[in-house]
Amino acid sequence: MDFYGEVVSLTFKVVGKSIPRIDGLIKASGEAQYAFDLEIPGMLWAKLVRSTIAHGIIKKIDYSEALKVKGVVAVVTGKDLPYKLGIYVGDRDVLAVDRVLWYGQPVVAVVADSLEAAEEAAEKVVVEYEPLPAVLDPEEALKPDAPLLHPKLGEYRRAPGFNPIPGTNIASKYELKKGDPEKAFKEADVVIENKFKAPMVSHVYLETMNVIAWYHRDGTIEIWSSAQSPFAVRYLMSASLGIPLHKIIIHRPFIGGGFGGKAGLNLEPLVALLSKHAGYRPVRLLLSREENFYIAPVRTGIIAYIKTGARKDGRIIAHDSTYIFDSGGYADYAVNVARAAWYKCTGPYDIPNVHCISMAVYTNKVYATAFRGFGHMEFHWAVERQLDILAHELGIDPLEIRLKNALLPGKGVLPTGEKLREDAGRLDQCLIEAAKAIDWGKPPEKPKEPWKVRGKGIAALYKGPAEPPNAAASAIVKFNEDGSVDVLVGTTDYGQGTITSLAQIVAEELGLPIEKVHVRFYLDTDANAYTWQTVGSRSTFQDGNAVLMAARDAKRKILEIASQVLHVRPENLELRDEKVCVKGEPWECVSLQEVVFGYTYPNGHTVGGPVIGVGYHMPERRTYLDPTTGRAPDGSPGAPTIFITFGAQAVEIELDLLTGKVEILRYAGAFDIGKAINPLLVKGQIYGGAVMAMSLGLFEELKYGKDGRLLNPNLTDYKVARAGDIPKKMIPIIIENPQADGPYGARGLAENVMIALPAAIANAIYNATGVNIYEMPMTPENILKAIKEQKPELIEKAKKALMEYLEKKG
Amino acid sequence: MSLILPKFEYYKPSTLDEALELLAKFKGDARILAGGTDLIVDLRSRIKKPKAVIDIKGIKELHKLEYIEGKGLIVGATVTLNELLEHPIVKSKFHVLYDSVRQLADMQLRNRATLVGNICNASPAADSAPALLVLDAKVKAVSKRGERVIEIKDFFKWVKKTALEPDEMVTEVFIPEPPEGSRGKYYKATRNVEDLAIVGVAGLVAYPNEPSKRIVRLAYASVAPTPIRIYEVEELFKRDEPLPKLIDEAVNIALRKVSPITDVRGSDWYRRHLVDVLTRKLLIELFLEG
Ligand SMILES: Cc1cc2nc3c(=O)[nH]c(=O)nc-3n(C[C@H](O)[C@H](O)[C@H](O)COP(=O)(O)OP(=O)(O)OC[C@H]3O[C@@H](n4cnc5c(N)ncnc54)[C@H](O)[C@@H]3O)c2cc1C
Repeated sequence: MDFYGEVVSLTFKVVGKSIPRIDGLIKASGEAQYAFDLEIPGMLWAKLVRSTIAHGIIKKIDYSEALKVKGVVAVVTGKDLPYKLGIYVGDRDVLAVDRVLWYGQPVVAVVADSLEAAEEAAEKVVVEYEPLPAVLDPEEALKPDAPLLHPKLGEYRRAPGFNPIPGTNIASKYELKKGDPEKAFKEADVVIENKFKAPMVSHVYLETMNVIAWYHRDGTIEIWSSAQSPFAVRYLMSASLGIPLHKIIIHRPFIGGGFGGKAGLNLEPLVALLSKHAGYRPVRLLLSREENFYIAPVRTGIIAYIKTGARKDGRIIAHDSTYIFDSGGYADYAVNVARAAWYKCTGPYDIPNVHCISMAVYTNKVYATAFRGFGHMEFHWAVERQLDILAHELGIDPLEIRLKNALLPGKGVLPTGEKLREDAGRLDQCLIEAAKAIDWGKPPEKPKEPWKVRGKGIAALYKGPAEPPNAAASAIVKFNEDGSVDVLVGTTDYGQGTITSLAQIVAEELGLPIEKVHVRFYLDTDANAYTWQTVGSRSTFQDGNAVLMAARDAKRKILEIASQVLHVRPENLELRDEKVCVKGEPWECVSLQEVVFGYTYPNGHTVGGPVIGVGYHMPERRTYLDPTTGRAPDGSPGAPTIFITFGAQAVEIELDLLTGKVEILRYAGAFDIGKAINPLLVKGQIYGGAVMAMSLGLFEELKYGKDGRLLNPNLTDYKVARAGDIPKKMIPIIIENPQADGPYGARGLAENVMIALPAAIANAIYNATGVNIYEMPMTPENILKAIKEQKPELIEKAKKALMEYLEKKG
Repeated sequence: MSLILPKFEYYKPSTLDEALELLAKFKGDARILAGGTDLIVDLRSRIKKPKAVIDIKGIKELHKLEYIEGKGLIVGATVTLNELLEHPIVKSKFHVLYDSVRQLADMQLRNRATLVGNICNASPAADSAPALLVLDAKVKAVSKRGERVIEIKDFFKWVKKTALEPDEMVTEVFIPEPPEGSRGKYYKATRNVEDLAIVGVAGLVAYPNEPSKRIVRLAYASVAPTPIRIYEVEELFKRDEPLPKLIDEAVNIALRKVSPITDVRGSDWYRRHLVDVLTRKLLIELFLEG
């Protein structure tokens, strides 16, 4: 460990300690309240009528029979809700207007005084469509004769830095160039080109989307929602409905998971408007799991083309990639996913000559949004597989080729021309530690059954928050009469453990025991401090810094009051163990409790008052990016992210050549996070992220029929990992090279723990069999198919081994 | 899928006669509710819209799990899968049944789901069905008109269709004592640890090393419209020929008899491949154990 880390860890009392999550008990006991649990007297129920075709014109909607159902209060169609939504491109209808874009898109909403009545009425709504040809594959959607999903793309509102191409299905397109790739490809000793794919997947958060909204007669709107980023919900609603921010109040109770799927604006404006149409009565919309599969946004799929040029010694000199992200029916966050993949297109490698194109493309499927990793798993799948293919072509060890090309602090240059900061994380250390943990270089042990094989694989990753250069965070630290504090932040903890780490930061700064710090679990946008969003692994860094600043602000105010009591200048006082004491004379003190609400002299006079600290964090020296160059608007290097967390993930697997089933025998993940505020929670992220990434890599895929119908809208056929699927051995490795502007040196982690694992598994499969997998998920059938295509003799050999087993043992 | 159940009349009789009375009264427009792990799903998705639901969990006489030495095992209609697994005789004698039920769904589900419900649902993927097929189980069907015994091989008629008449219900399944010295096993290929079978294979083997006495039975899930037993392989194994050769032939017969489809769980190609390798593996293990 380095000098700084050594010194600080000796002096920390709360930061760096493995404190169990402070919201754990009430979650485990069932006392934590979710939007699902809430009820308002007189509340109505909404039910959505969904499109039964993938693409088409709405000819006629007949809801006369629905209105006759007893208890029905209102029936609302898209035409009644003339607003366009969308965070980066304003392309989204509240309910489909004129045209439906996917099978399952909400077309009509019914509001009734009971769920039964709403469901009965919804079944009576008749919608007539004129079907249009549907396009499901983003590459098909790029063809000139492909059906257009958004003929009015050119007229939509768009955020700076986004680049929709009117007259096409391209929701946004980006391109960048660094060095001279054409020349470098000519000079390369080897050039390899490959195509990789990953499907759209679902977040499968435990709590399905649900919203209660109450449009009040005074024009304020109250919303209770399972939303990750309540301030973004408020801002985007305000912008799209034209209602001032203070008139919209978002209440965010506990959330049953989000993983990015609840990052943006989803059903909230619809339910708010339904409340108005229902006569200013509160309305609830709650999606069943199946409805959630059809209606709620999913993760982008990708088709990736990569061309790599390298020298014989393994040094990569040229990279050319085109990433085609499947955005589904609307742009939503997918256009920013494509953007994030664009400016980080090379993966964590220092490549002098680069040409990258990335785009989000409309298709007739449910729209795509943020998903833990924000496009990085998708394009790292391509980059990290490609690198192994290159390594084998050159006869170089996969670990060595990564070390040779790794982006290193103070030296490496990112695709946007930005030089990596000197106190950035160390990819080389992550790679070496992860490799060591699975005995890299030692051949795996022989499996017991001769029809199985084993292999090892490694893959590297990097990612930082994909956010605008002015994405703010703020915090309020409020002292109570007894010297305890309430902390108000804007971030949402739906499992990451953030509020516990934030409590630790406050306790550390104010010299308080953690029990005296309460971070408010619930959030109301009219009470809590602001943060832009809970996305991009930004909370520990940004909200952490804001909390740190607020705690220091409170401390300054405390010392000012104590200074008047003890008659010593504030800089000569210190705050520790819930006392303010004179430096050097630790017996001259006043207790914290005596000063945090102002000090009261024995005669009743007072000085000071209740202490409230405020703080904020703003990204510094970050830039917008020109979508055609990747540079800042003034042509200087583009600087998109406030930090980059590097990591490496390594696995040893066993593959059954008879069935194609792969099992992870051991997994090691190493991440340079600067400083672990709470190592226990960090490890929790590393374990949980590995399971989720494994699940995506091996099982998960939204499957569509030719007609665009989702074939697996349920958990019977959309498979996610279960307890029994979890790898038996997982080794978390925390590396701490601090970043100067992080809180105590910390960087974010929550997404990084996912990104490279599927590629590591595929690389291990290659190591075991010599068979390349280009497509996720690696289901037994898909693996077996790849073996059959590339090395059918392996299956025959395995069968023979099985039969010989009988002869030998029998 | 709807959030709520459709409207139906709910009955919870406490005697079998009452239940049979209701079945007769509703003439096929009533469904029996045992564990409900299939029925509730079908109701919520409106695949089934019965007028009445008859909950049989209150009928004491159906909660019968009894082993009669030398004869066999009686499993009543409300016996849950976990109750079955916990019965020591099931583990020690009815290996193939134990092995298949052990792999059916998960712990929570098996706390509710019943064996009889599994076969009455008549899914081609029913995990207990191949085991019951190789064990020659007998299904007791009862109605107001009387009772009859249906051989399990005649019980499954088509996807989700049984030989039951609309007014009949199953009161119990009888599983005769397995052949002396026999061993059984169930292989289930799945996408992840908890899944419906892509392919399920049940095998029962006795006297593997004495061709004249040798017994080999194979049955499959998820390879045809119903669970199927492939009788054609059984004579084959009476031949005094090297086992690998017999296994090769058995696999070929099985591959001719199955008719798998392509669905979200797997392609017909993969299912055929699984029939091939799982049959081999299963037989080899059973031969080696024997
Ligand atoms: C999450 C999940 C996982 C599952 N995994 C598996 C699996 O791995 N393998 C598998 O085989 N199945 C699986 N199933 C299906 C189901 O759990 C089993 O089929 C179970 O055994 C059904 O039993 P039950 O008592 O719940 O039946 P019920 O749902 O009560 O009944 C099933 C059907 O049989 C009828 N019925 C029930 N009892 C009688 C009777 N006595 N007479 C006449 N008709 C009757 C009912 O009317 C209904 O149509 C799964 C289900 C779920 C929800």
